[in-house]
Amino acid sequence: MKRIYWIAAILLGALSGIGAAQAPGGRAQSPASQPPPQTLNPQSYPADLVRAGQTRFTSECGFCHGRDAAGGETGPDLTRSMLVAEDFRGNKIGPLLRAGRVDKGMPSFDLNDADLGAIVAFIHDQKTKGESVGGGRRSVDVTDLETGDVEAGRKYFSGAGNCSKCHSPTGDLAGLANRYRGLPLLQRMLYPSNTRPAPAPAKVTVTLPSGETISGSLASRDEFTIALTDSAGMTRTWPVNDVKFTVDDPMTAHFEQLGKYSDDDMHNVYAYLQTLR
Amino acid sequence: MTICTTFMRTFRHCGKNTNKNQLMRSSLYVCVVVCFCFSAAAQLKPPIDNWPTYHGDYTGQRHSPLTQITPANVNQLAQVWRFQTGQPQQIKATPILVNRIIYISTPDNLWAIDARTGRQIWHYTSPMNNAFHIGHRGVAVYKDSVYLTTPDAHLIALNTNDGAVRWNVVVADSNKGYWSTNAPLIVGNHVIVGVSGDFDNLPGQLKSIDADTGKTQWIFYSTPPPGISDPPSGGATGGQMWMTGTYDPELNLVYVGTGNPTPVLNGAVRRGDNPWTCSIVALRPDTGKLVWGFQASPHDTHDWDAAEVPVLVDANFNGASRKMLMQASRNGYFFVLDRTNGKNLLTAPFATVNWAKGIDKDGRPIPDPNKEPARDGRLVAPNESGATNYRSPSFDASAGLFIVSAQDGYGIYFFKPEHGEYGWAGADYGIAGRAFLRAIDYQTGKIKWNHALGDGASAAGVLTTDSGLTFTGDVPGNAMALRTSDGTTLWHAAIGRMGNAPITYQLDGRQFVIFGGGSSLYAFALQ
Repeated sequence: MKRIYWIAAILLGALSGIGAAQAPGGRAQSPASQPPPQTLNPQSYPADLVRAGQTRFTSECGFCHGRDAAGGETGPDLTRSMLVAEDFRGNKIGPLLRAGRVDKGMPSFDLNDADLGAIVAFIHDQKTKGESVGGGRRSVDVTDLETGDVEAGRKYFSGAGNCSKCHSPTGDLAGLANRYRGLPLLQRMLYPSNTRPAPAPAKVTVTLPSGETISGSLASRDEFTIALTDSAGMTRTWPVNDVKFTVDDPMTAHFEQLGKYSDDDMHNVYAYLQTLR
Repeated sequence: MTICTTFMRTFRHCGKNTNKNQLMRSSLYVCVVVCFCFSAAAQLKPPIDNWPTYHGDYTGQRHSPLTQITPANVNQLAQVWRFQTGQPQQIKATPILVNRIIYISTPDNLWAIDARTGRQIWHYTSPMNNAFHIGHRGVAVYKDSVYLTTPDAHLIALNTNDGAVRWNVVVADSNKGYWSTNAPLIVGNHVIVGVSGDFDNLPGQLKSIDADTGKTQWIFYSTPPPGISDPPSGGATGGQMWMTGTYDPELNLVYVGTGNPTPVLNGAVRRGDNPWTCSIVALRPDTGKLVWGFQASPHDTHDWDAAEVPVLVDANFNGASRKMLMQASRNGYFFVLDRTNGKNLLTAPFATVNWAKGIDKDGRPIPDPNKEPARDGRLVAPNESGATNYRSPSFDASAGLFIVSAQDGYGIYFFKPEHGEYGWAGADYGIAGRAFLRAIDYQTGKIKWNHALGDGASAAGVLTTDSGLTFTGDVPGNAMALRTSDGTTLWHAAIGRMGNAPITYQLDGRQFVIFGGGSSLYAFALQ
């Protein structure tokens, strides 16, 4: 039996291209049942570029996204990323790397074209390998999440959860389950601002000392300044001590609810939202 | 005395054309300064023109006796200099200041800069390697050597004068999955250095290396190395000691926090409490022998290292004079221990927690099995990045406050057998968090004040001073000074996101506060 593990571990190591990720004696992982999204435009890269990319990827990206790009300490599995599936030779990955997603903890990277190209090559190479084995050690399948009770979820939605104060199953949430499935639906339900497309930003109304009021979308805020984007698309900033302002942020209620859900509540509401097709 | 003699010898051998008396005088001066800097007494209360070790001193209190900058004048702080690394990596290190030279590091890089002007004196780049370049905490200095860990888990000794490499040794094998971000702790001639390694099932190891020769003196394993049958850890590996410890010269004990067990989220294959993962351990600095251990998170399944700073405090605790150790742990609980024996004096949550059923007789939270990662997901507070993390807290004895940068956060944790038994072995996703600076009354665990820092978590640590000021940073990227007694903001400057705690020192009669914002160091002083 042990020998089978060894052979499997060696095979997996060879497939992933990173033998070090599989320790001697480490057991092989079963592939997840759900396949990753298919690459829209299949692409291949020279082996030496992939190798160069592996070095750069490991040192710059590996901690968060895993040495094999299949997920690390905080970052998602890139072999299951829609953005990677849609990328062609870096046209989506490149701009993201250079801009970062600072609000979600991903820094921007000041990469030259050669390094960027190598990293893109490595990610796609890993994705191609991942597709062939159907793996994903961070996988959460749609069926994994289906433990809730639809009726209990419906009740919680309009009762204790207070969801119906802002949402309607026939209004903004109509067809929700056609747009989101599985983990993305659960994440959207719990705290939409970390999912895509980003929900509408908070609404801000600023009252100037003159009495004039200006409304817009929250652009940024800290203890010292408030900034909004007005209807003309211009960002305007004031020191908080110079104006009066109100912020209507739907995320506040979502955050408070995180402290109120039991795990059953969470699974029940998810089960109910799954019926909104 | 040995150090003095060594220095005298060194200085006699150099500067052949220098006037001998002059050389002797300067040697003596350097000798006095250096000897004082590196004595145990000085590391407890370093001279005000130095910040000679990661925490500033051996206690880990990150509290300075300086009083020139006060709540009344802090609004006159102005930038004196800015040092730009010129590289995209964020500074996550604490600057170390010895003999008017500041040493600041990022992965693979070490700069020596003039503490008066911020000008570069030298820059060292370690050889290219493909280990994780996730962050670097800082360096250590002993005599005229500065010690740098590298991403591929080497320890390099460099000449403080010019950055020339004296020796370069392997601490742990990066091909197996170890890496290092560690700022070493120096006790006597022991350079005590830790490593990281969450993505592989690796034993947790802390190494003591001879400061002069680079030879290994001892290794402490928090979880057993391979080959041990019926391991006390219950089959767990991990427990890496990636943060700088603290030291009590009187008890002659080094205190270090240990990291989470591996496999990380799969607890089923490592039954029991998994000692000494997620623990505070007390070790003999000369041998590495364990004297006692306290587990902050028995049988962790959420990546909640107890690597956070073990802060040493001698003070009154509910009527009795105590030698204490305090830690605000990543799992959301604040612990006060008797550091002579590891017995618990207080356990209290300092952030939102929902994973424990209660506190056991030894003061340890009791994990709720229903909050362990599961196939359909569990909503858990804190999230994986924790109620706090490596960012340093500070202790102000006169205020009686332990001040920590905290996060109320939630994550969902998944595990199913398909995730395997190796490395991470599970999946978790952060949902949302809110950052706060919290002042904890150490005798009750109650929160005295709470200062919002923004959405998410701030990576800025905390510095307090005797004048009643608390320095830290918020999530959007402001360096801030607050009144320690009530948390009121008195000053701020938008310098970019801070990656660790500020330091302070006094040179030429002027008090400086140094912040790392983005990839720059900023020096502020009164105008």
